Amino acid sequence: MDPSIHTHLTTYHDPCNYARKSERTFGHGYYEEPRWITQQCCENFVDMYPNRANNFCCGAGGGAWASPYSEERIYYGRVKAKQIKDTGAKMLIAPCHNCRDQIMKGLRKEYDMMDLEVKYLWELVADSLIIEPREAESEGE
Amino acid sequence: MEPLLLTKREKRKIGTQFADLCLTCGTCAGGCPVTGVDGMDVRKAVRMVLLGLEQELVDSRFPWICTLCGRCEHACPMDIDLLAMLRSARGLRERSKVPGVLHKGVEMCLKTGNNVGIPKDDFLFLLDDVGAEMAEELPGFSVPIDKKGAKILLTINSKEPFGEPEDMKFWWKILYAANESWTVTSENWEGVNWGLFTGDDASMKEIVGRIVKNYKELECEYLLLPE
Repeated sequence: MDPSIHTHLTTYHDPCNYARKSERTFGHGYYEEPRWITQQCCENFVDMYPNRANNFCCGAGGGAWASPYSEERIYYGRVKAKQIKDTGAKMLIAPCHNCRDQIMKGLRKEYDMMDLEVKYLWELVADSLIIEPREAESEGE
Repeated sequence: MEPLLLTKREKRKIGTQFADLCLTCGTCAGGCPVTGVDGMDVRKAVRMVLLGLEQELVDSRFPWICTLCGRCEHACPMDIDLLAMLRSARGLRERSKVPGVLHKGVEMCLKTGNNVGIPKDDFLFLLDDVGAEMAEELPGFSVPIDKKGAKILLTINSKEPFGEPEDMKFWWKILYAANESWTVTSENWEGVNWGLFTGDDASMKEIVGRIVKNYKELECEYLLLPE
């Protein structure tokens, strides 16, 4: 991992499904693991408030990203947008397709946050990896 | 509106076991970003269910404008199963009246194995194509298809092969760097299950079952659903 690639102040969005819904359904909410991963890649980190089990939904959960009620979806997201802005972060990590699309393609434009970079958690990891290329023959078994 | 006779009240259809414990405190609605839209909120939805206005709730937009995020349920002092209630209200909608593309996606997935109906040949061609691109950066890389005994079975969100194929590379890079044994399946590779959102348990189960079948047949150890 190379933490010098992502130097901007970074925040992390708790998706409902990995966080409080996972806690309720499976007895474990994934709050700390993704924060640990994020901070291996971004040393300059700040949490939103509130966060973890009390985090606000991005506004596109439950299939809302694919629903026709886009005006309501953007209205819903105003709380998330404010949470993000209040951190002053220039990068946001979202480990969920819905959340990432809503924040990157919906909220950034609607709430004047185009200077915010949005990445999937696995995108952040892929972009931070120092990969040693392997010999061609070891792969194609 | 007709008065509702308690003696003739039908058995509740909406799936909630604990709605009658509601104290009407409004904690749920107080913390919800869409309280007030259409004059509705979660607390009112609970009242509707308890007062026998179930069909009215099913017909309203509220269960679909709610994102089922569960913040209300987390905060509820009586631990009422609000998500089960709202998702069940979605499930009671006639399928032809499910808003937007959600149910069409479910039907498409049942029919073709993915929500957007990408044919098998096109999918395999794309994996080969994007995989070859990846190999320029990572020598020897290729996407393993239906590889028996692979440790990890990786599902794919159909929006990526459909519209953002480059985004498939992120996971591929990680798996390459970790020297992992993994595979993608040529059929029923969809990682998105919209039955969860439409309250359609039967379809949801069928779609999950197909992934489990792949997983068992290929004797994989881990299932990776990057959702």
